[in-house]
Amino acid sequence: MTVSRADDVGFPKNYLRPCLLLLLADGTSHGYDLMAQVASLGLYNADPGGVYRCLRAMDEDGLVRSAWEPSTAGPARRSYSVTPDGLAWLHAVDESVAEVARGLAAYRRRYNKLAARHTPVQ
Amino acid sequence: MEDQLHPPKSKALLALYWRSEILQVMYWLHGEGLGEVVDPALLERFLGVEAALGVGYLDRLVLDGYLEAVKDGYVLSESGLAEGRTEFAMSFAELTRPAHGECSADCWCHNSVEEAIACAAERSHDHGPDV
Repeated sequence: MTVSRADDVGFPKNYLRPCLLLLLADGTSHGYDLMAQVASLGLYNADPGGVYRCLRAMDEDGLVRSAWEPSTAGPARRSYSVTPDGLAWLHAVDESVAEVARGLAAYRRRYNKLAARHTPVQ
Repeated sequence: MEDQLHPPKSKALLALYWRSEILQVMYWLHGEGLGEVVDPALLERFLGVEAALGVGYLDRLVLDGYLEAVKDGYVLSESGLAEGRTEFAMSFAELTRPAHGECSADCWCHNSVEEAIACAAERSHDHGPDV
């Protein structure tokens, strides 16, 4: 088996949802800006389709609200904001994120001990 | 929690539902500057509708006059843009509806998006910027 950096373990399947809610709660409100900023949370090259579907589903679930925003300079844009339910969901999910972070930290500690004893195969 | 949409079960409602969803996606892409052309593969990525089914919905929207078939897919027609604007107007109505006493019941702002925008701008100008 060839091993490379491309063998991504990846983030949990629904990591996009808390990322988008966090960015919305922090003040970002448009799709394009959200796509650009999820990279800072580790989701590089986020698929616009996935972002759209996630926003649409959260809108249906009442976690975000959205409205068309008029523009004199160009076409109308959809503006999103987090609802009180969305904020509550974000706080609740932080427990799980913290658990994953603790697990990863433990993994990294053990891996670093192992790496100190063995040189990785090139 | 899966990010899936929940379309209705009946065929008649399903057609209306996908018409609205497809036009909304196209209007969203247009607004975000992400392109004007959609194809069945894009619908699958954005709406989770299987490409094989999506092409049927797109062709139906062409027949209904909302889309035009082009070389690489489908684009909004004038009528499709107008329908997108209607969706916009319905969402925007909540934002533009004047608060009590701001304008009268017979104000034109109740009748069109353009009037609502002009009315909101005028009221904001009268009150001056918030400091």
